[in-house]
Amino acid sequence: MSEPNVPPVPEVPETPAGPYVYDYKAAPFRQITMPKTVPLPSYRTYVAEQKAAAEADEAKWQKMLADYETAKTKAEAEGKDAPKPPVRSVPRKDDNDLKTPVPEEAKDPDLLKLQALLGDKVEEIFEQAGELVCQVKKEAIHEALTLCRDEADLKYEMLADQSGTHYPAAQDFAYSVVYHLTSISRRKRLRLRILVPEGFVPESACPLYPSANWMEREIYDMLGIRFANHPDMTRILCPEDWEGYPLRKDYPTVGWGQRDISFREDRSGMLERIALQKAGQLGINLKQPKAD
Amino acid sequence: MFKNEEMEINLGPQHPSTHGVLRVKLRLDGETVTHCRPMIGYLHRGVEKICENQSFFQGQVWTDRMDYCSAVANNLGWAEANEKLFGITVPRRAQYIRTLLNEFNRIASHLIWLGTHAMDIGALTVFLYAFREREDVLDINEAFCGSRLTTTAFRIGGLREDLPPGFEKMVRKFLAKFSDCLEEYENLLTENRIWKKRTIGVARLSAEDAIALGVTGPMLRAAGVAYDIRKAFPYAAYAEMDFEIPTRPEADTYARYQVRMAEMRQSARIIQQCMDGMPEGPVMAKLPKILRSEVNEVYHATESPKGEIGYYLVGEKGSLNPYRFHVRAPGFINLQSLPKMAEGGLIADVVAAIGSLDIVLGEIDR
Repeated sequence: MSEPNVPPVPEVPETPAGPYVYDYKAAPFRQITMPKTVPLPSYRTYVAEQKAAAEADEAKWQKMLADYETAKTKAEAEGKDAPKPPVRSVPRKDDNDLKTPVPEEAKDPDLLKLQALLGDKVEEIFEQAGELVCQVKKEAIHEALTLCRDEADLKYEMLADQSGTHYPAAQDFAYSVVYHLTSISRRKRLRLRILVPEGFVPESACPLYPSANWMEREIYDMLGIRFANHPDMTRILCPEDWEGYPLRKDYPTVGWGQRDISFREDRSGMLERIALQKAGQLGINLKQPKAD
Repeated sequence: MFKNEEMEINLGPQHPSTHGVLRVKLRLDGETVTHCRPMIGYLHRGVEKICENQSFFQGQVWTDRMDYCSAVANNLGWAEANEKLFGITVPRRAQYIRTLLNEFNRIASHLIWLGTHAMDIGALTVFLYAFREREDVLDINEAFCGSRLTTTAFRIGGLREDLPPGFEKMVRKFLAKFSDCLEEYENLLTENRIWKKRTIGVARLSAEDAIALGVTGPMLRAAGVAYDIRKAFPYAAYAEMDFEIPTRPEADTYARYQVRMAEMRQSARIIQQCMDGMPEGPVMAKLPKILRSEVNEVYHATESPKGEIGYYLVGEKGSLNPYRFHVRAPGFINLQSLPKMAEGGLIADVVAAIGSLDIVLGEIDR
């Protein structure tokens, strides 16, 4: 006996539950305050700011003088006493040992030499707190590093440190990458800096300074900046399948999973609500059956 | 017929000789290492991210917990980086006390290294002797700041407290016996045939390779490069101290042992000078209760027992916490040189190489 020729019922594959994905951007305790300013020290900006502040101060003073003159003529016309003449305010001096270092004009021969050699590829040179800073164009970083290492007057043999910073409030770039070079023979330090927009792949420093290998891996791991010509561009501190880049400013500081629950808020029943909500997402019934 | 086949093994992450949770992927041809790849990150806690979300004062406790064997040296780097960021001048007495404690910390860290490194190689006795003297150093830490390991010894701008009564007596007592103790360790190791066979010519790292790989500290000095940040870029009170930079030209594990032993003698010398020339005066600079930063960017490097520890700080205008905080951990950079030292050598020498690096994984993974 053969079965009647009925078309087989197609087996509907059970849809897998899928990994539990927690939307951290929508979570109640994951509200991130993004920075509003771009704290990028720069001599040019500093000079411009100082000039603007001085001009604003002068304009305020002139206005005060003008106001005083009008008030004086008005008082004279009305036969009243003349008003008090204005006093120019002096910035208050704090009685403490703080002397915040400000950017200064570059005078060091190393910086001047770099500018002479690189020409218009140098965006800015200045000194601050005794540290030499040279900001170069992002495409010219390999050339600048080569010069620093090989030029007889510079001789920066060691790349001591390399790291990056996320500047989400900036308009025309997103990250800065800084290279801290040390010259052991000349006892000098120099900081090279490039500004990198999102998605730009700067040249790796590995062929010049092998110590950049792990440091660039760390930058990739923490900030998500990839480097071209790097021998091994993989994550180093986080697991290989980690999502997101922890040192970006939009990455939450509260941990995953249970730490979303703020125990201080539990008096209002928040703990229970969140637990129930999460359990519901996972398909677990946490509600106790009512005793009848 | 015998087959030529390479074998891949994992050293660690749970292995006593890796000093924590370091995993080293090794490819072996017989007993010879052909490929070596250190894998790190098992202790990653995100110290940089945490410090970016805490105030300038709070960040210091995290620096203790990075490298718990040289907590004072990490504190010093952190405090000085902040002082550079804010432009604070620290009183001279505070500088001297900082230098003194930093050198005690160097001795304690080197003693741990000596004990554990000798134990890795098979000389167990040294471990017990070294920990006996380390106990005295921890007692001195405890007398100063109440804490033995995670000290949080300094404050931004100076110190919280002056030296306690009876401190000088403790220090003098330690100094009186310490050179004899060093001789005791050296009697056990320096001419020990097994020790010499296990260390001489093992895990070489030439000066060129060391500089290219960014290796600093005793590792670099054992390769003949007299680079010490205490001399090259003096900080704290080191400019006023009279000491030498011990170097060795051999660049092997035995040379690193010799350099570290000589460094402990120099540290004792510095402590002696600090104690003799201790100036009087305040120990804290005049500071406002709340520190608000200006736009500034500093990198400050100090000589920790392991090498150059650098702090990179970016300040935002009017902010209570650093905008960016980055640590250049000496162990992290030094560990990069492990493949260079291990490849081509025997698998037993990988343990000697890791020991001679003097790593603490808490600092490498941060």
